[in-house]
Amino acid sequence: MKKSCIAMLLAGGQGSRLYALTQNVAKPNMPFGGKYRIIDFPLSNCANSGIDTVGVLTQYRPLQLNSYIGGGQPWDLDSADGGVFILPPYQTAGENGSWFSGTANAIYQNIGFIEMYDPDNVLILSGDHIYKMDYSDMLREHTESGAACTIAVLQVSMDEASRFGIMNIGGDGYINEFEEKPKKPKSNLASMGIYIFNWKKLREYLIADENDPASDKDFGKNIIPNMLRNGEKLWPYRFDGYWRDVGTITSLWDSNMDMLSNTLIDLYDPKWPIRSRGSVCPPHFAGENASIVHSIVTEGCVIEGKVENSVLSSSATVAPGASVLYSVLMPGAQVREGAVVEYAIIGENTVVGKGAHIGQAPDGSEAWGVATCGPNINIRDGASVPAGAMIYTSEEV
Amino acid sequence: MSDFHGIIYAYGATVELGELVRRRTAASMPFCGRYRLIDFALSSMMNAGIHNVGVIMQRDYQSLLDHIGSGKDWDMGRKIGGLRMLPPFGLPEYHKGDYTGTIEALNAVSTYIDDIKEDNIIMMHGNTAANLDLADICRSHIESGAEITAICTRLDPDYRHHRYDPDENGFADGIIYNQTGSGKGFASLEAYVISKSLLTRLMADCAANNSYHFHRDALAYYLGQGGRIHVYVHESYARRIMSTDAYFRANMDMLDPEKRNALFPKDRPVRSKSSVDVSTYYGENAKVSRSLVADGCRIEGELKNCIVFSDVRIKKGAKLRDCIVMRGAEIGENVILGNVIADKNVRLSADQTLMGSERLPIVIPKNSSI
Repeated sequence: MKKSCIAMLLAGGQGSRLYALTQNVAKPNMPFGGKYRIIDFPLSNCANSGIDTVGVLTQYRPLQLNSYIGGGQPWDLDSADGGVFILPPYQTAGENGSWFSGTANAIYQNIGFIEMYDPDNVLILSGDHIYKMDYSDMLREHTESGAACTIAVLQVSMDEASRFGIMNIGGDGYINEFEEKPKKPKSNLASMGIYIFNWKKLREYLIADENDPASDKDFGKNIIPNMLRNGEKLWPYRFDGYWRDVGTITSLWDSNMDMLSNTLIDLYDPKWPIRSRGSVCPPHFAGENASIVHSIVTEGCVIEGKVENSVLSSSATVAPGASVLYSVLMPGAQVREGAVVEYAIIGENTVVGKGAHIGQAPDGSEAWGVATCGPNINIRDGASVPAGAMIYTSEEV
Repeated sequence: MSDFHGIIYAYGATVELGELVRRRTAASMPFCGRYRLIDFALSSMMNAGIHNVGVIMQRDYQSLLDHIGSGKDWDMGRKIGGLRMLPPFGLPEYHKGDYTGTIEALNAVSTYIDDIKEDNIIMMHGNTAANLDLADICRSHIESGAEITAICTRLDPDYRHHRYDPDENGFADGIIYNQTGSGKGFASLEAYVISKSLLTRLMADCAANNSYHFHRDALAYYLGQGGRIHVYVHESYARRIMSTDAYFRANMDMLDPEKRNALFPKDRPVRSKSSVDVSTYYGENAKVSRSLVADGCRIEGELKNCIVFSDVRIKKGAKLRDCIVMRGAEIGENVILGNVIADKNVRLSADQTLMGSERLPIVIPKNSSI
């Protein structure tokens, strides 16, 4: 069945800068903001924008992500003539097949999937951004502008601009220059890594790029610059809402803390629900001596100690006399009696033993950082994990 | 469990439930912050691998239909078999008003019963807060060789109920009718495992004699013919919700971790309609003690001994003690509530005080603004 626009979601990256947290799972599957996983944001945006066909390109550690996405039912993406499809690299007759070697190559290898839907346009998304965006509005601008490609851009501060891919806009409103991490940025419009391409055009460029041995097979480095060079029309879609790339420990912790303020991103908006797959748990229980302040808590949690300025995912527990301050507890994390967790991220099902101390408040030094414990670790009773530490296994502490 | 079929009675409610059932049946009463009572019957069946289930309903079933949907949340949205909602379709012309007894309810859906392929039927009431280990119950039923097994509880209810006093082999040859409090034997949960052939025989006999009651008519007839009833005792938490007071206490029971864990064991999870709520946010001045709070709430005030359903706002300075607050309620600044059940979408403006008592909680009706 012919579609006006389908989405391709790049979810194959390792997220290597999250270290212990992504040693066994792909980054898009990372729990986030209490109730969610990172991939819930683009999937929910698709569902809310009326895009009913989504290909999810997986490569690194896809098992948990595959089972999380399942048939797409939590996002209402289990539709009769569309739906959500997991697209791993695959073998073809007479060849050995190959891993996805770049973002553009991942799409190139799935040209066959896209053609099944004969779409006019293809939306390219990343699986590691936190934001709410109406792609149908972006598609409308894309169609009206007659561009070959529309790129979502975000205004950043001029000092930050040199960390992003920056779009320079000509007098006609179209993009006339793209600079990756420029030392002296000419504008502060940063690419959000969200593109809508005219499919016929993109197909041409993907095939040409594939045949270029010098290419990195990357949208930002190759496809977009090639399009500009050839004089294609590229339109900037200006976005002014909340958007965060959660690729590092600091940004993951920061954006979790952002969820405590509903002025940054309103997750209570009934018109734009972010949906997630979750098992049904009883409501969270706050015990006799619990204290919970400026925090978000999810069902299944049992809180008998102190929780302040923290984000607690489902079924996390905080025992009597324990404190969780400025921290993120992922699903099933347990903080035992008398333990202190501050400025830390505790991975799924990790147990912080009695009287252990994880992390420290910022002391102003350069070396300070958020302490991180990976998933399924036992931190022994009374252990001490310093600020900025990265714990992979139970044996380390 | 391919040889068992489920039937859940989800019609009607006792008058003692008052305002709480004005627009819903007892089976769809909200419970423990995020559930409806019928979730326990549905989940008990699901956890025993029983996917073919009929839900008998009669009136006021809009909230029930909305909650259950296709049954997919209990793995009962099936291509073959699965969940069927059963409004009355075999009633005699003269019939008006509520079903007089469960046999009458079964006869009203007799064509559905006739079509059941399984040899045994599990019958449960939708108004019961109990997590039954039906796999074990079915095993025990088969091993006993009985045609019918009565599921009983060791807890003595404080409402009128029937009891069974089994012999050392686990069989009873009589029913002790209409007891209150303790007595000989065990209180019936009015849940049964029964062979299909016996059930259809009892239904036909009752239809011929214009009698409607399962215990008084059908089982009395069976026992009179020399039939014996196998008794299974459910050892863990079980409450049938027959009055506002019982509803209030059963909810408050869930604040006790031991009782909560008995109703929500890890190996037999209770499923419910999945929600799209976000996590709950506690503000700078929030205080919370011994309370259950569902997702999607914003708590700025104080809670003690409360059950709070999803999507509830508790504003600054509000103090709630021993309250049940259902979905979508908004409790204004400095409101003080004690022993109050606020039904769905209740709005309370600032600075009000409402105090009920433990035996007589105040019920604020659904959608009302004060």
